[in-house]
Amino acid sequence: MRKALPFHPTHFYSFALYLTLALSSSAQRASLPVDQATINQQLLDRIQKLEKEVQAMKTQPQSTVATPPAPDPEPAPIVESPAVNEVAPRLKLNFFGDVGYQSGHYYGPTSAFEIGSFDVFASARLSQRVSVLGELLFTPGEDNNISLDIERLLIKYRHDDYFAASLGRIHTDIGYYNTAFNRGDYFQTAIGRPTMFEFDDQGGFLPLQDLGIVLEGKIPSGKLGLNYVFEVTNGRAYGANVEPAQNSTDGNNSKAVNVNISAKPDWAQGLDVGFSVRHDYLSDVNHLQVSETIPVLYVVYNTSNYEWLNEAMLVRHATPVGPVFHTSGFYTQFSRGFGPYRPYFRYSYVNAPENDPIYGNATEEPELGRINGPTVGIRYDFTEHSAFKLQYDREGMDGEKSINGASAQFAFTF
Amino acid sequence: MKKNHTAPFLLSGMAMFAVALLSVVSTPAVEAAGDPIVVIVNAANPVDNLSMSELKKLFLSDRSKWDTGRVVAPVIVSAGAPERTAFLKLVCGMNDAQFSKHFLQAAFNGKSATAPKEVSSVRGVKGVVVSSPGAIGFVKALDFHGDGSDGGVKSVKIDGVAAADAGYKLKM
Repeated sequence: MRKALPFHPTHFYSFALYLTLALSSSAQRASLPVDQATINQQLLDRIQKLEKEVQAMKTQPQSTVATPPAPDPEPAPIVESPAVNEVAPRLKLNFFGDVGYQSGHYYGPTSAFEIGSFDVFASARLSQRVSVLGELLFTPGEDNNISLDIERLLIKYRHDDYFAASLGRIHTDIGYYNTAFNRGDYFQTAIGRPTMFEFDDQGGFLPLQDLGIVLEGKIPSGKLGLNYVFEVTNGRAYGANVEPAQNSTDGNNSKAVNVNISAKPDWAQGLDVGFSVRHDYLSDVNHLQVSETIPVLYVVYNTSNYEWLNEAMLVRHATPVGPVFHTSGFYTQFSRGFGPYRPYFRYSYVNAPENDPIYGNATEEPELGRINGPTVGIRYDFTEHSAFKLQYDREGMDGEKSINGASAQFAFTF
Repeated sequence: MKKNHTAPFLLSGMAMFAVALLSVVSTPAVEAAGDPIVVIVNAANPVDNLSMSELKKLFLSDRSKWDTGRVVAPVIVSAGAPERTAFLKLVCGMNDAQFSKHFLQAAFNGKSATAPKEVSSVRGVKGVVVSSPGAIGFVKALDFHGDGSDGGVKSVKIDGVAAADAGYKLKM
């Protein structure tokens, strides 16, 4: 079988050239006789002209002719932004919230649906080294009113991994839990914080919010992975129905100092061991300077599958003339992830003396004495940015019957 | 003043922690088998070798500068690529959701963590590494020729082992 010759445009142009020459030659022969040399020269000129035209046509794009497409040039890399809520070239905005239901005397005499808090978090990088952070918090109180609080507001200068300085309203770096989870219920495994880390404006024992300067960074230590945090702050206010953080005035001239040293060794990924010590002078109702010292020790193992948090504190209150009061506390929390499910267990313990000069102010009606009990629950991350938690709590207190509670929570961010 | 019940709880808690920590830490790592994942840096970067823990710090923004002082600029291919899934699991111990949550939580905690640049293709990864002296990325071994044709990028050893050698840890 004969193989069909493939059509090519040059064949067409050659044929056209031949036809043109033939017709031209016939026309010349039919015309009046002229000098043969002149005719030859005209023909040669004509041939050269046509050859040029053919050559020019060959070099034109052959858009109507089916030819194999040339490979595309390598495209420029497409750089995509990470999935963050950028609402302006510099500003990032995230919202955190939680809603749920609670039942049992652990939470109160009646069961109720509740909103936990609504957290508006914004951050922006003002330059390569300067950034700002702001956090507004809407929280319902026991009177069902919703209060607004500037939870954090700070400006930060970061020189490198070894030195950064911040100024503003902060969450203090006491122990591990406070700055690891802040106010984000979405980030913490369980519903609510361990007893020793309940916020001081919600009946807690530790000064977890403050205003001042923070210096932090890594300590050159090779595989030991040491880090430091050094804080100088106003210290907390003392008195009934007052905001613990002294936002614009300080009750005395002494400033609180807190140091936190931790190690995250390379040879034990996920391990974080550290301690913090804070000292402050608080002016009590009688304007006595109560010396407050808070050492906290923590050992944490946290990977994507395992979470084991252990912290212990010993709050020491010493009056100029009088006894020294100690409030001890600890918690241990373990959880294990199985895909989106994460069962967890926590045991919390705090024991505060009832006549403590700071906690013992009767007008504040604090819960003092021994408070301890277990918490068990399960967390289910049903989307990347939302989680459902179901939890049971049991709490024992000195001189009272143990109380139980059950709660459910949807925590989310968007 | 109340009797202090803390000591026995603390001792028993710490003992429990020590036992459990030993059992968890001593759990053998997941054996990787399959196509190697090649870690690439800009050809001008003097780094030739990285440990797994260093690699984790670089991609989780726990280390912001190279020893030369250049800013570390990690680049990563978009979610869904098999080399990304394997890399996150082997190096960071995370899946995509946990990786995303890590940077969200770091930002919420005021850390200066910056998520790696995401690009949609291997060409994009190479393109960023070529154009940025501080960049670091990773590609499948099939996408890295190592014969000079990759242009402007070079591979680095992981824990002293090259991707083509036995004992290389980064495999899909």
